[in-house]
Amino acid sequence: MSDNTPNDTRDASGRFVKQAAETAHRLHTPSEDGVHPISKILFGWTEAEITGTAIFWGVGILSAFLIVVDLAVDRHEYVHMAEATGFYALWGFAAFAFVVLMGWPLGRLLRRSEDYYGDPGGPPADIDPDVPAAPDTSPTYPDEGDEL
Amino acid sequence: MTGLLSLLNPGWLLIAVGLVALFLPMRRIRQGLTIAAPIAAILLVSLADRNINLLTANALGLEMVLYRVDNLSYIFGLAFLLAALLNAIYAWHTDDRLQDGMSIAYAGAAVAATFSGDMMTLFVFWELTAVTSVFLILRAGTRAAYFASMRYLGVQILSGVLLLAGIGYVYQSRGDLSISAFTSLNEPGAMLVFIALGIKAAFPFLHNWLQDSYPKATVVGAVVLSAFTTKLAVYAFARMFPGQDALIWIGAVMTVFPVFFAVIENDLRKVLAYSLNNQVGFMICAIGVGTAGVGNALALNGAAAHAFCHIIYKGLLFMSMGAVLYRTGTTKASELGGLYKSMPWTTIFCIIGAMSISAFPLFSGFAAKSLTMSAVGKEGLTVVWLMLLFASAGVLEHSGIKIPYFAFFGHDSGKRVKEAPFNMLLAMGLAAFICIAVGVPAIVPGFGYEWLYNLLPYREEAMAYHPFTLDHVLTQMQLLVLAIFAFVMLKRLGWYPPEKPGVVLDSDWTYRKAGYGLATWTGTVWQKVGPALTAIFFKLTGRAYNRIEAAFSPRGELARGGLATGMATWTAILLGFVLLLSFITAG
Repeated sequence: MSDNTPNDTRDASGRFVKQAAETAHRLHTPSEDGVHPISKILFGWTEAEITGTAIFWGVGILSAFLIVVDLAVDRHEYVHMAEATGFYALWGFAAFAFVVLMGWPLGRLLRRSEDYYGDPGGPPADIDPDVPAAPDTSPTYPDEGDEL
Repeated sequence: MTGLLSLLNPGWLLIAVGLVALFLPMRRIRQGLTIAAPIAAILLVSLADRNINLLTANALGLEMVLYRVDNLSYIFGLAFLLAALLNAIYAWHTDDRLQDGMSIAYAGAAVAATFSGDMMTLFVFWELTAVTSVFLILRAGTRAAYFASMRYLGVQILSGVLLLAGIGYVYQSRGDLSISAFTSLNEPGAMLVFIALGIKAAFPFLHNWLQDSYPKATVVGAVVLSAFTTKLAVYAFARMFPGQDALIWIGAVMTVFPVFFAVIENDLRKVLAYSLNNQVGFMICAIGVGTAGVGNALALNGAAAHAFCHIIYKGLLFMSMGAVLYRTGTTKASELGGLYKSMPWTTIFCIIGAMSISAFPLFSGFAAKSLTMSAVGKEGLTVVWLMLLFASAGVLEHSGIKIPYFAFFGHDSGKRVKEAPFNMLLAMGLAAFICIAVGVPAIVPGFGYEWLYNLLPYREEAMAYHPFTLDHVLTQMQLLVLAIFAFVMLKRLGWYPPEKPGVVLDSDWTYRKAGYGLATWTGTVWQKVGPALTAIFFKLTGRAYNRIEAAFSPRGELARGGLATGMATWTAILLGFVLLLSFITAG
């Protein structure tokens, strides 16, 4: 089949608009496995095997760089101890690590089962009606409901 | 006409629209009104003259100032109105008259309270925020939400009652109810007002109503709730207790302790509730440092700027978790992960919110938090300053990394859902825009962070402050990047605690478990002991009656003739003796 329309009579701008519409449609139509096309553009790189290692070394090198730059900068602070080179770096690292590591003992100390207070609850009424209903985990109360 | 309109407290407009929305069945007209009302209100408040009583009334001999705008109330009111606008857009996909009406009325109550000039008017709208907001929790429709909403209402009303009692003492001692700063907590009524405000600001040990109720609210409700109540309390503190030393330490503790709870909490909306506590701590601490009038303007500017930015980025984070909840039915970190594949736009907006709250340079939190940190450092409060710096790394942990990482990345839960509805994305996009717009350097004078600084209560001092100095950017980046490095390292070593389902005990245990247990135990004991006590009572009273009857009844011992004669003789002797005694003493 050949296209009989002469080239010079085609609406070039119309074709551009159509193409743009198709691209836009393609960009917000998820694939069959439910993956959004934009996610590949924005976050596709996170799926590469090397990403974890690259982030570790990248952040590590950036950290070292920031401390080295600090050597060259003569900072004036209201709190004198903060004038030490790398003070903020050390404080940030130590605070973060302390908070996270405290998660182990605190979790053991304070975490209880989800129905500890007798009612684990569930999703609120205004969620997407298409979401499959979760199994009802709320306790039953024998003194409620239909009276026999 | 313009003159009349400029006398109308914009909060009342919102409350009126809320009342109309309650009874308006036409969905799109109702929602259109809830979007138009905050826009109109922003116009109204920008028309209003500053620092004069625009509308007053006299009720029961009280001079009430119903509408007054100044630089402090303006920035809080503007933030509330922007939040109300974003919330209305966020709720566009729903069809719920009660929620639409109550959301806008709740915002209106907060705005009306902000622009009130006397304590009685403040009290009325203070209570109205409680009564309207409880429906946003109730509307979730679950049994857990019902009980949480009742606890919420109880605590909020308690705050109102304490405020009213405090107002009573203030009126008695000052003879006037205009809102002004207390000089000390020993002033009559000051302590009551302080605790009333402290409950709403979620002070340590008074905070659990927040973590209990917000995560159980509806998808839209949690977003709406995050904006108003606590920030209204922050505003009231800035108004009535600036420079109050106690606030410095209370605020510092508030920034630190929620960090530990947020690490182990599995429900991401509850993590955000703890994060809210931590952020309000920064503002409370700043108010404690700042003094009214010419004092430390830097700190009060910091509190106001932080409140403005916080309302927007915390709203944005709640919106993104709301979108996740809407599409997946859960916000439990243990059940989520890998959602970036199906919700990339929500992911991006959440990351912008996370970077803003973590105070990365170029995002709003940086421009706001720098003011507070500088003010605390300048005052020479080294320990407090170190606590705030510690909490800044903690914010990065729970709101900067945990929220986006466990919801959208991390272990892939295999959930493939639709992207959030367009209206949710639009609201998140607008909030994200504000987060960046007020965080970037003022390349064009008057824009970027300068736009925000221009709105601050002490404008000239704010404009003299420059957050984008090499020192500032370098130190903030050091703090954040090294904290991220700690995260990456702990993850790599497998030392990061896994997300586990469960309830984390907090101080609400005292009333939800211990208090409730004591009450039910007392009930059970009373059920058993009660009848026994009743029996003993009746036995004792029965015996006493029998004895009395045996003595005094017409057939009784005392009614017999012999004794009666004897009794009369003895009475005459006694009276004679008393008479004699009185003669002797008188003589």
